[in-house]
Amino acid sequence: MRQLRAWLLRLVGIFTPEHREQDLAAEIESHLALHFDDNVRSGMSPDEARRQALIRLGGVEQVKESYRERRGLPALETLMQDVRYGFRMLRKNPGFTILAVLTLALGIGANTTIFSWINSTLLNPIPGARQTSGIVSLTLGGTVEDPGQFSYPDYLDLREGSRSFAGLMAFAFRTLDLTGTGKPERLWAAAVSANYFDVFRVRPILGRGFVPAEDQKSGGAPVAVLNYGLWQRRFGGDPAIIGRTIFLNKHPYTVIGVAPAAFQGTMTGLRADLWVPVVMEREVISNWDWLHDRGDHELMMQGRLKPGVPIEQARQEMNALMQRLEDRYPDSHFSHKDVQLYPLWRAPNGANAYFYILLPMLMAIAGVVLLLACANVANLLLVRSVSRRREIAVRLSIGAGRRRIVRQLLVESLLLALAGGAVAMLITACSPRMFADFLPPTGFPIVLDVHPDRGVLLVALILSIVTGVVFGTLPAVRASRLSPGSVLKEEGGGASGGRSRARLTSAMVLAQLALSLLLLVAAGLFIRGFRRAQRFDPGFNPEHVLLASFDLFPAGYHGTQGLEFERQLLTKINALPGVSLATLADAIPLGFVRNMEMVKLDGYVPQAREAMDIRSAQVGPDYLRTMEIPLVEGREFTMDDTGGSQPVAMVNQALVDRYWPHQDAIGKRVWAQGHWSTIVGVVRNSDYDQLGESPRPFLYMPIFQDYTSHPIIHVRVAGDPLAFVPALEKTIHELNADLPVFDEDSLASRVQVASANLRLAGAFVGAFGLLALVLATVGIYGVIAYGARQRTREIGIRMALGADRQDVMRLVLGQGLRLTVAGLALGLGLSLVLTRFLRSELFGISATDPLTFAGVAVCLGAVALAACYVPARRAVRVEPTIALRQQ
Amino acid sequence: MPEKADVWQGTLALMILKTLESMGSLHGYGIARRIEQTSGDRLSVNYGTIYPALLKLEQEGYIGSEWGVSDNKRKAKYYRLTRAGRKQVEREAREWERTTAILARFLAPEERS
Repeated sequence: MRQLRAWLLRLVGIFTPEHREQDLAAEIESHLALHFDDNVRSGMSPDEARRQALIRLGGVEQVKESYRERRGLPALETLMQDVRYGFRMLRKNPGFTILAVLTLALGIGANTTIFSWINSTLLNPIPGARQTSGIVSLTLGGTVEDPGQFSYPDYLDLREGSRSFAGLMAFAFRTLDLTGTGKPERLWAAAVSANYFDVFRVRPILGRGFVPAEDQKSGGAPVAVLNYGLWQRRFGGDPAIIGRTIFLNKHPYTVIGVAPAAFQGTMTGLRADLWVPVVMEREVISNWDWLHDRGDHELMMQGRLKPGVPIEQARQEMNALMQRLEDRYPDSHFSHKDVQLYPLWRAPNGANAYFYILLPMLMAIAGVVLLLACANVANLLLVRSVSRRREIAVRLSIGAGRRRIVRQLLVESLLLALAGGAVAMLITACSPRMFADFLPPTGFPIVLDVHPDRGVLLVALILSIVTGVVFGTLPAVRASRLSPGSVLKEEGGGASGGRSRARLTSAMVLAQLALSLLLLVAAGLFIRGFRRAQRFDPGFNPEHVLLASFDLFPAGYHGTQGLEFERQLLTKINALPGVSLATLADAIPLGFVRNMEMVKLDGYVPQAREAMDIRSAQVGPDYLRTMEIPLVEGREFTMDDTGGSQPVAMVNQALVDRYWPHQDAIGKRVWAQGHWSTIVGVVRNSDYDQLGESPRPFLYMPIFQDYTSHPIIHVRVAGDPLAFVPALEKTIHELNADLPVFDEDSLASRVQVASANLRLAGAFVGAFGLLALVLATVGIYGVIAYGARQRTREIGIRMALGADRQDVMRLVLGQGLRLTVAGLALGLGLSLVLTRFLRSELFGISATDPLTFAGVAVCLGAVALAACYVPARRAVRVEPTIALRQQ
Repeated sequence: MPEKADVWQGTLALMILKTLESMGSLHGYGIARRIEQTSGDRLSVNYGTIYPALLKLEQEGYIGSEWGVSDNKRKAKYYRLTRAGRKQVEREAREWERTTAILARFLAPEERS
């Protein structure tokens, strides 16, 4: 404590007011006077008495100095001195300062921006939830891009049997119509197990979450928890909402709680407007009893591991439990599926499925940008240190230590870096912060907002300091190493630049060229990939197709009645002017909804543990012609393929190749949805989940064979699809004036959503690439121009001795050319090694795409040569007489 | 003239505190002289080192200071112990005794049987 008190006082002592200095002088003076009196009393002459007093004191100034050192904190004081001096030096040279700060700001800003994204996705996957690091997402079979889900009975058994989890919850994403108050509204709901909020440790800000009793009886818990946003928007934030009745799909529900504002659901980036118990599924959500069907995989599972339980242990336990279920219920588990556990930062459901690959990749690229910025500023500093040689030599010769000089220069670097960091935070704050910015407007409940928080600020600070040390150390150490004598004697820095300095700056240019090339190649690849994705042939024609949805279930239609409505509607739409074809389907390609069917195939014997889940869709008559997907053989569905006719199906080429290679698929049978269907058509492969995916087996079932209450209308029209919306709505409302129509959108813009991650990557990498080009150009120009200026005298001598302009031009250009070629070669090598890590994001563009490599190399080479040419021209224009006189 | 010992590092603070404890309040010059006298003129205090030491003790809160007038009408800054200072004197004195006792055992002729 005493120590601390002393330190604080010393800290205050740094800012010594004048009177304390006077106080010290007075005390010394009084000491001398007292001593003088004593000496005189003991018989000395006054002169001698004063002299002795001074001798015994040991020098007035020394005493004062040691007193002052004790009064303040000398180390801190010199640091403050360095800072003040640093500021002065930076102010004296505003051009340099602005250039350096801007360069650093761009470099650091690239990193803080990407980090702010990582911070809001990978590091904080579920806003509003607590301690999400212990939570895992579970999948059953399938792949990372296409994760399999669980059936409700299996979920209950797994939850019951598991010892690894503190809580294991399940949920399904659903759409519901909110009616009763004002305009009907379609909401995104999560149908959840009752422990949903507990597992994520989310406590409603109003009311309560679900209780175990609300998990028990099918249809027995008509209660709902509202999203904060919905509560504010729809109910005006009314605190009396708890206990009120709302109508979902025309069914009364009691509001029991309001979730905290931050909490949007448990899928990163997706919003749930409200939560209802999953046991309500049959009664009001889908009119479909899958709660008792082990073969119906509708649920996503997430669980919180018990403290100390490693993820691998939980995985083994889950697989053992699943194996037992498969053995006990072979009818509903006729293929084996592995249970996989993923931490939330790379959970396959939600936005992190994309981000966990993309963002680290972008971070690495941003890191290269920062390195480039560092190289640039280090170069600037080196160049500047030459013009400060004299100043440093003077300071060295009057006694400054080399460490002190290094420290002084480092402090200047840190000041630059911190200023850069501050501007970087501004850049981050202004950068696109919403994932939605990268998407065309859609009905999807995407909520991914990036808020630069304290974590980002901290990273910016650390990054600035590290950056300052990285680019500042080398120039500082070099500057302090000069010998003062020779510098001060030197008239004008020698005829040419020093050999070792030339080597160092050359190395810098080399590094800059190589790094810029790497960045530009990466940017080029991304942009090419993006353009490819834009023009990519998904296997169907997304142009001129209008999509629209309606849901007959909440409107009160059932079975035959609904089917009849859909058939009538289709006929009516097809008769509209401007419509070339219309059809229905239960899903759109490249949408987020994926249907899987567990199938058996005629004559195909699954291997042990082989998963027989196949992507499927229910489609209407003329689906293939509407979508312009070519039929390979056979026929497509017609109005006559109904529940009463012989069950039929179509498969794609990939399914035939995989399960019936070299066989005729027509006439074979497939077992799906509880019955056998005969294959009547083979369809060309198209993209179902992602653009540019590898072909995967796909099964088409007729939509009129099994009733679907919420189909999506697909209409191929002439001209702009969205212009057709009023006509379509009018047609629907002629059949039922109260039926809400929603999600009207063009298929083309839905396809664009599928490339949103690439759009995001393209935006950032493109910006980084541009940045790299600017940094490289400025850097190369600066160094070459500086080199040429340093050599003005040498050039003057050469010209005075008879060299003509061309020789000199060749000299200066040759130097630049050699550097450029070497730098480009280095960069190409580096890129060849490193770009392979980008492969997964490139939509089939080769990671060593020759066009990109060659294009970038030529472009950068041209820029570098231009950067050499300007200074070279200036060099030869100089009059020898002037050059010789120049210092 | 007998050779005078310099003040050891670290002991000056204790000497100052002890001097103030026995003398009440005193100015810097007086403290230095008093230390020399107490040592029987066997110690030579470098007067210049007194002042930083006094400042340190003041920062640590063991002594306080105020300006006053000396016997022979000179203005001088007088130092006195604070309450914390008194405790510190005891503590340091004990510490010091223990150290010297230990050292004495080392320096005493070995007594082995």
